[in-house]
Amino acid sequence: MYDHRDRCAIVGIGTTDFTKASGRSVLTLATQAGAAAISDAGLAATDIDGIVRCEHDEVRHNDLVETLGTANVTYWSSVGTGGAAPCGMIGQAVGAIMSGQARTVLAFRSLNGRSGRRFGQAGRASPRSIGGNGSYDEFFIPYGLAVPGQMFAMIARRHMIEFGTTSEHLGSIALTCRQRANANPNAQMADRELSMQEYLTGRPISLPLRLFDFCLETDGACAVVVTDTERARNLPHRPALIRAVAQGTSRHPQMGLVLPTLLRESLTTQPSADVAETLYRRAGMGPEDIDVAQFYDCFTITVLLQLEDYGFCKKGEGGPFASGGALDIGGAIPINTSGGHLSEGYIHGMNHVVEGVRQIRGTSSSQVAGAETCLVTSGIPVATSAMILTA
Amino acid sequence: MPYTIDADTAGFFEAAREGHLVVRSCSDCGANLHPPRQYCRHCGGWNTRWRKLTGRATLVTWTIVEQQMLPTFEVPYTVVLVEPDDAPGVRFVGSLPGRVESLQAGMAMAVTFETVGDGVVLPQWSPTE
Repeated sequence: MYDHRDRCAIVGIGTTDFTKASGRSVLTLATQAGAAAISDAGLAATDIDGIVRCEHDEVRHNDLVETLGTANVTYWSSVGTGGAAPCGMIGQAVGAIMSGQARTVLAFRSLNGRSGRRFGQAGRASPRSIGGNGSYDEFFIPYGLAVPGQMFAMIARRHMIEFGTTSEHLGSIALTCRQRANANPNAQMADRELSMQEYLTGRPISLPLRLFDFCLETDGACAVVVTDTERARNLPHRPALIRAVAQGTSRHPQMGLVLPTLLRESLTTQPSADVAETLYRRAGMGPEDIDVAQFYDCFTITVLLQLEDYGFCKKGEGGPFASGGALDIGGAIPINTSGGHLSEGYIHGMNHVVEGVRQIRGTSSSQVAGAETCLVTSGIPVATSAMILTA
Repeated sequence: MPYTIDADTAGFFEAAREGHLVVRSCSDCGANLHPPRQYCRHCGGWNTRWRKLTGRATLVTWTIVEQQMLPTFEVPYTVVLVEPDDAPGVRFVGSLPGRVESLQAGMAMAVTFETVGDGVVLPQWSPTE
């Protein structure tokens, strides 16, 4: 069978500013990030022949063909589910390139996540008739369980029950991301420091989770350009080779969009465990080979679960591992070096892809010295995707 | 108010209206299939039915909700997740008013039935002590 190892690379990255109120349309944001990524790659819009989008995006492929002038697009696709998509989107680009359907693919995510359509909010559904038609919301929302933050609070509580994890353990993840954001001028939290005392006394949202366990809400966009490694070698930046990429569900993922994942037998092992196995096999690598990681962090607990699922520590030991300095620059596995969703901005996993490329180029605002491999992960719990970038 | 006329899930709410807690189960191999579906992935059969449960369960996890997200749910309230004693691997959600500080993982829970509207009944879960 074909092997995609190191056959494609990310050659261009682009972002907008990350704000609470962009004052721009999601199409303008996507166009800004897309144009920046194409320019960064040293290419012209007409070199782009493929576009991959997240299925949650309000911007369609033809919108960008029109606004960017990518007149030669012959391939497009949409990837889900939501935050699980970004690394899978890169996988789509690799598949398109290796099958000859495209040579140079733009992947993007754009949202007015604060001023426009806000995620994590309930109340859109008619109170007269909740659920049905394959949503299974009728088993959750009538009980006041409506949003991912409440679901992840129950997952965090279960991790505390099974393994003795504490709020201080989760807090160490929030503080790590904030410290990286404090070094990143484009982070929403660039100028806002966070202490453990502030974390522990943060406003309770859905206990045991408090304010600083939650990601930010952001207006902004990110885009990257993927091409074959041969072409990548002739472009301005050091290519971030896509060593391997993988998508995966849990073996028994449950039905519906998000909330039914709470009905799985284990809440403390997530689809990231299944994807880790596939990804490391495809890469011929293990966690010991990873220099730096960008973990999808919609909540602090999301990172803790992935530290275990991707094998950086044993199941159940994520709390002490995180709070023992392992996540710092110079630690065993520095994470979320741009600040992540918790403190840079929430671009639904695509800012993690961009930051992974920066680490391979050596241009991060929190550069890990000599980093040659970066793990990038996308969202849980529905399903997930991940990739390993190499120099 | 839950949607109670879905082709796959309506039977759960019909049973609750009559004061029964049920789970979709395979008549051939006994597997529990929740949320309810028609096909049994365990044995490949379509011979599934509603099975009555005793309504005894243990507490798996919970959250105390402090920030209001739904207009009809005043905070604080406590959402619980339970595993029925006679349907291992199945999980049901319930909610209790206020901050229930006495919850412990593994504690015994029992079903109650709450009428939430015109002929609509929700199974709910409370600690037995």
